[in-house]
Amino acid sequence: MRLALAAAVLLAAAPLPAAHSGSTLSDAAGPYDIALFSTPTAPAARGHARLVYAPSPFGVAVTADGRARYDVQITASALPAPSTLGAFSSYVAWEVTPDLSRWTRLGVVAKGTSTVGPAELNKFLLVITAEADSMPAAHAGPTVLHGTSPSGWLQSFLTHPLFRGVAP
Amino acid sequence: MTGRARAMWTEPLAAVLLLLPVASPAQQPSAPHASPTNPAPMHDMPGMSEHAMVMPIPMPAGMPMMPGLVGLAPGVTPFLPGAGLDLARLPAAKASAVVRLKNGDTLDLTATLVRRAIAGHAFAMYGYNGEVPGPLIRVPRNATIVVRFHNRIDLPSAVHWHGVRLDNRSDGAPGVTQEPVAPGADFIYRIHFPDAGIYWYHPHVREDVEQAMGLYGAMLVDSPDSDYYPPANRDAVLMLGDLLVNADSLIPFGREGPDFALMGRVGNVLLVNGEPDYALHVRRGEVVRFQLVNVSSSRTWNVSFGGAPMKLLAGDQSRFEREERVMSVVLAPAERYVVEVRFDRAGRVPLVNAVQAINHYQGEFVPEVDTLGMVTVDAAPVAPDYGRAFSTLGAHPDVSRDIDRYRGYFDRPPDKRLTLALATTALPLATVQFMSIDTAYYAPVEWVDGMPDMNWLSTSKQVRWVLRDDVTGKENMDIDWHVSAGSVVKLRIFNDPTSFHPMQHPIHLHGQRMLVVARDGVPSTNLVWKDTALIPVGATVDLLIDASNPGAWMLHCHIAEHLGSGMMAVLHVDPPAQGSGR
Repeated sequence: MRLALAAAVLLAAAPLPAAHSGSTLSDAAGPYDIALFSTPTAPAARGHARLVYAPSPFGVAVTADGRARYDVQITASALPAPSTLGAFSSYVAWEVTPDLSRWTRLGVVAKGTSTVGPAELNKFLLVITAEADSMPAAHAGPTVLHGTSPSGWLQSFLTHPLFRGVAP
Repeated sequence: MTGRARAMWTEPLAAVLLLLPVASPAQQPSAPHASPTNPAPMHDMPGMSEHAMVMPIPMPAGMPMMPGLVGLAPGVTPFLPGAGLDLARLPAAKASAVVRLKNGDTLDLTATLVRRAIAGHAFAMYGYNGEVPGPLIRVPRNATIVVRFHNRIDLPSAVHWHGVRLDNRSDGAPGVTQEPVAPGADFIYRIHFPDAGIYWYHPHVREDVEQAMGLYGAMLVDSPDSDYYPPANRDAVLMLGDLLVNADSLIPFGREGPDFALMGRVGNVLLVNGEPDYALHVRRGEVVRFQLVNVSSSRTWNVSFGGAPMKLLAGDQSRFEREERVMSVVLAPAERYVVEVRFDRAGRVPLVNAVQAINHYQGEFVPEVDTLGMVTVDAAPVAPDYGRAFSTLGAHPDVSRDIDRYRGYFDRPPDKRLTLALATTALPLATVQFMSIDTAYYAPVEWVDGMPDMNWLSTSKQVRWVLRDDVTGKENMDIDWHVSAGSVVKLRIFNDPTSFHPMQHPIHLHGQRMLVVARDGVPSTNLVWKDTALIPVGATVDLLIDASNPGAWMLHCHIAEHLGSGMMAVLHVDPPAQGSGR
């Protein structure tokens, strides 16, 4: 019972989109926006992203198994030249599973707004790295910006083993 | 639910429920009197009471009724067509027959009670001419036909000829173009078909009841151009619907107005042409032209044929500018799409609806795959083989040339703006509290109903879906839009995600045609004439309306329960002034 109540409190206290727009996600304006956060590699970098439906003849773009397909409009500023971070020439956006096990290249991030994609995961991390090549086979360089897709807000601690009666 | 491969949802969020107070029971209205045109409500029948609904609403596996909602019932009198009648005395429903009509022909169309067997159970339902779906009306483009409609069901009705740019008097919109046709009464429609393609007809009175119970049919309008579509070995019309049942009973409707007003009545038995098991036999290499129609109250579909190659040809009212390869077809309620599928390997190919449901209790996405039927592909090759034509993606310059006349309007500021929103009063407190918590993520499309018990409790007395004119602030039928016939109207629609329960809306405009010119500011690159456009949550969609057909025309959400909860307005297309030359 104590665990159940704790779980309820956790969920009830989960941040809501309305709060996001005015506080921690100050760069984000709507329910399909992603605030991007910098890392010590490029602490001055700023950015945000917006999910828009990938081209589709229908009212929404989805995969055959029903996952939404989005293009990602990334706006980044104060990114240093990649070469100042090491032997890098490009910034590349990746769609990453929440457990970091699968990285899918979305496209190159340039100055201003870049549209990359499509992103096709239900929940994903949006990660921007510096890379030696604009078409890397795998991610290798340092992360400069990162954020979480809005669908990640659904993440519930109730799925954690702590709340399933399983020893952590 | 044949062939259903539904993932199990586990571990409900009992923790949250502990914090929710138990709401007081909803107030029930007094029972109406039974009469020949006002059939006995459910509480007059053995085992049914308006105050104690004995029939629980089917829930997804592993998601029981929330304790805070137990004991509540919607504040409407439960109603089912033909309740109390001896089923054995009703005629068995027949399959849809093709009725070929030519210019000047007349069709008698009669709505009656029928007996239908679905998933091993017999129900009293409705049919047109004893058929479910109703007769497939096949006419040449530019034909004009007369339909004598005879209402022989237990509710008032009317027939709307969906998507057809016809004379306003025959649009079948009670309260706007005609009075409802009372039980036992008749009405004559005169229908002109100016555009080739796939259309459908359905009631425009208590659509949530009458359409779900079987009153729908397709209309195929043939182009005089034999090459209008690429060659195919056969045509198949698929009307995709669903039905909400619990064990061996239909879930009753609300007599005074819709229940399931929040999400709409999402069925748990999926139907193709009124049946739960679609079957088609083809030969290897066969190209089948499928004409898809979504006739469900609320469900948006995402259908595919087991990975078989698919080519998109046409939408609601025209061909696309260019044919496209697609992996699946998304259809909101009332939308139509025409696709060709080539079955190039022998074996069994499932027709599936595949979506991602959201388990709100767990905060997880759940794949949900429903097998609607099976295409069996024989080893013997088909003749003629249209494989080469199928592999080619055609373009239709005539469609582009037609649209060229409107491209100058694409980038101009909108003439009209609508916001889609929701107002509620007196919903059960438990519903309000859970839904307030459940705003962590705005799904752009709700593919299934993960909370059917809560949804069931919402009625049109408590829920008012809103079309709001951004300029005047007027809502729904108070909106007073007048445009001149021949004008081009750019309508921008925003689906407000901050509403109490935002949801996608398929917005349908009667009697005209329109283009979806942009979504969220991104221009469309392959256009098609539409009469229904899906507006996902949070989306801003720009529609360009070719307002060429004079009359008073409904503009509404095609989720039947949203329409029944007020989400409609009228666009008046005024005839040209005398002497204007038009």
